[in-house]
Amino acid sequence: MKKRSKTVLLLGAALALSVFLTACAGGDDDGGQAADGVITVNWGTEPPSLDPGLATDTTSSSILLNLMDPLVILGPDLEPQPSLAESWETSQDGKTVTFNLRPDGKWTNGDPVTANDFEYSWKRTISPELAADYAYQFFGIVGASDYNSCEKNCDAMKDKVGVHATNDRTLEVELTSAQPWFVQQVAHTSFLPVNQKTVEQFGERWTEASNIVTNGPFELARWDHNSRIDLVKSPDWRGADEIQLERVNGRMISEGTTAVQAFEADEVDATVGGLPPEEMSRLKALPEYAQYPSLGTYYYGVNVENVPDVNQRRAMALAIDRRSIIDNVAQADQLPATGFTPDGMPGFDQINPNSEYLPETADVERAQELMNQVSNPAKDVTLVINDAPGHREIAVAVQDMWSELGINVEIQQQEWAQFLESIGPPPGKDIDTFRLGWIADYVDAMNFLELWTCDSGNNSTNYCDPQYDQLVDEARATPDNAERYDLYGQMEEKLFGPDGAMPVLPIYWYTFTQLENKSIYDTFGINQLGQIDLRDVVEGDTGGDENV
Amino acid sequence: MTGFVIRRLLWTIPVILLVIFFTFVLMRQIEGNPFRTSERAVPESIQRNLERRFGLDQPWYVQYAKYVQGVFTFDLGPSLVLRNRDVNEIVRTHFPPSLQLGAFAMIFALVFGIPLGMLSALRANTFLDYSAMFVSNVGFAIPSFLISTLLIYFFALKWGDWTGLPTSGWDSWQSKILPTIALGLGPMAYFARLVRGTMLETLQQDYIRTARAKGLRWRRVVIVHTLRNSLIPVVTAAGPILGFLITGSFIVEQIFAIPGIGTYYVDAVEARDYSVVMGLTVLLSVIVILANMVVDILYGYLDPRTRDARS
Repeated sequence: MKKRSKTVLLLGAALALSVFLTACAGGDDDGGQAADGVITVNWGTEPPSLDPGLATDTTSSSILLNLMDPLVILGPDLEPQPSLAESWETSQDGKTVTFNLRPDGKWTNGDPVTANDFEYSWKRTISPELAADYAYQFFGIVGASDYNSCEKNCDAMKDKVGVHATNDRTLEVELTSAQPWFVQQVAHTSFLPVNQKTVEQFGERWTEASNIVTNGPFELARWDHNSRIDLVKSPDWRGADEIQLERVNGRMISEGTTAVQAFEADEVDATVGGLPPEEMSRLKALPEYAQYPSLGTYYYGVNVENVPDVNQRRAMALAIDRRSIIDNVAQADQLPATGFTPDGMPGFDQINPNSEYLPETADVERAQELMNQVSNPAKDVTLVINDAPGHREIAVAVQDMWSELGINVEIQQQEWAQFLESIGPPPGKDIDTFRLGWIADYVDAMNFLELWTCDSGNNSTNYCDPQYDQLVDEARATPDNAERYDLYGQMEEKLFGPDGAMPVLPIYWYTFTQLENKSIYDTFGINQLGQIDLRDVVEGDTGGDENV
Repeated sequence: MTGFVIRRLLWTIPVILLVIFFTFVLMRQIEGNPFRTSERAVPESIQRNLERRFGLDQPWYVQYAKYVQGVFTFDLGPSLVLRNRDVNEIVRTHFPPSLQLGAFAMIFALVFGIPLGMLSALRANTFLDYSAMFVSNVGFAIPSFLISTLLIYFFALKWGDWTGLPTSGWDSWQSKILPTIALGLGPMAYFARLVRGTMLETLQQDYIRTARAKGLRWRRVVIVHTLRNSLIPVVTAAGPILGFLITGSFIVEQIFAIPGIGTYYVDAVEARDYSVVMGLTVLLSVIVILANMVVDILYGYLDPRTRDARS
């Protein structure tokens, strides 16, 4: 009997051992060890769409800007620089912008890139049939808003849209008003061209790797959804000689801890898309840690109908210890916010109010003074946050800070879609404060400050000041930068100045944090809008050492 | 037997209809705008365009009828959120990895769980038994996300040079080992306990005493007479467990970055992607129903008493 059960035992052990042994026999499949000109990047998530008309997130945007050639690109100081457009002119009244295209733009199917491609693409994105989320980016163009909301006779509306290819190399754009930031805005992915033949032939499947036609420095070699996305340098690209990378393999590891482990196991050369907050203190000490400024503001909004006394709102702002939150909770060296428009936005020095109510560390005395002036303070306050990592910890810290003012905070954590329904606008009746962030769409403070107009679809605070709206309208009609920045400064004063209404309590300005292999550390980067330009990346020599 | 199968298959139709109904109602109840993905509010005209494009501006009964029609014509419609993809393609591309993962985990659980349970039963109350049950309890109690992370940390990162296992992905065969273990450990523990318990009970039965008294070799007694009867609860449990393994592997898929259907399912619910949620719910219900049906058929082979009861 003993012999029999021994056989069974041996059999089981042999099975287990064989599995292990076969595992030992293998080497890793496609290592991230940077081979010549080949790197692996973890993008962090699958790009929801590589159709420029439909892409709304930073991952799609980053990949598209490497696959395509926009009219303009943003330079290191976020000023527009020529790309496919070799030059442009703005009319005297600022309402007409004319782009002159290079003659050598080419699609991967051999077609030349012409101004017609842009007219077709922009009108396609504005069209009601495509139902593009970012169609609103075009609403500064004559006729765009009407065409987008048209229900019948749409072809007539389409012809009225102010985008015309006057010849193969000239694109004329008519704007509803002077918009000095328009040329910069054109660097956004929504303004990229698409190849008409390809879109019409393949319909919604035109972005698959086997169908897609692009015109930029890299080509889409392979796209296994939610698994990998590989780019190869385009041999026909005009600047191909200056690009050192031959191939960029892409992974989509969304789980933060696994992404870090993949990096440390040398399977990826860079991981973008954020790092797990609980590992920040360890990761910051690594030589591979990299941090970049970002144009984004993290803030707490206040429902001014539920917290009507401005002094209470000021007190709540004063009681928040931003430095402590940044150092101990968020831990990515964010910048403490002293206004709403983030540092790095052109004109920041003129715009920033350096608000006395937004100190770096808390001013609890002053806060209590102001609280005492409030005749009927809201003592029980709800704070609504969404369920992404990191927000709860900040909320708990703020809850503690506000308790010193005698305010009891009830934190309500909600799932994302539910959360968005709660804050509306209009915010739910029982929502007193909420957490939110705003990331720049384009590089002008208007993008941040127009949020607080009375009818803004992104104003969940019930704050409404006709004078503020007036300033916004005035700024929209002011092409001169210095004058406009002055108006922006006035708007920030209206919100955060000594007599400011404080409908929102800015906490910090975002940063991007990522891990980068030593071999690409110096050249791999991300700009303030979250875009990664792979053309600049050069692999240095690591000497083949490991990063673990 | 064929009559049995056909009847069961016909029963799936009303079940699917119920599933569609409840999914439809529940998804509409939880509110949320499928077209608002970020904090940016969607301008009204664009919201209207999107609703029109995806038929959400129709009255609810028209939408419901369209879903039912879609399910039975196998055209599950476009995704509301992933604009260049439709549900059929999502299922075609991402269901196979989940199916593979579930199947491997099941095989792992059976191959290691059953012998472990047998050994424990045959060597009941010895050190072997105690340690086997301890290991299986640990495997059962530790949540899969913790096991996954620990496996990656030790076998792919720390000892990665010796094992050659990657931290994530589902392309090479090496990448399939750790997720299989992570997912299969819980069911393995479960099967081990089941087999142990049933075998201990069966070994007490009179017919085992008879077999031994007849002079049959112990191995024959164990494998032919005892094991087959001990497997009945395993088979009963295996059906729903297989269904669970295929549908419930979201956490393991997420951590190991496996492009399976689980991620899409959870993402779709969060994003209120109605067509994907509907399509996947129906698909997964069908799987569970089929798994249960297979179990019932196997049951018939293993236990002649049920066969007789049926006919």
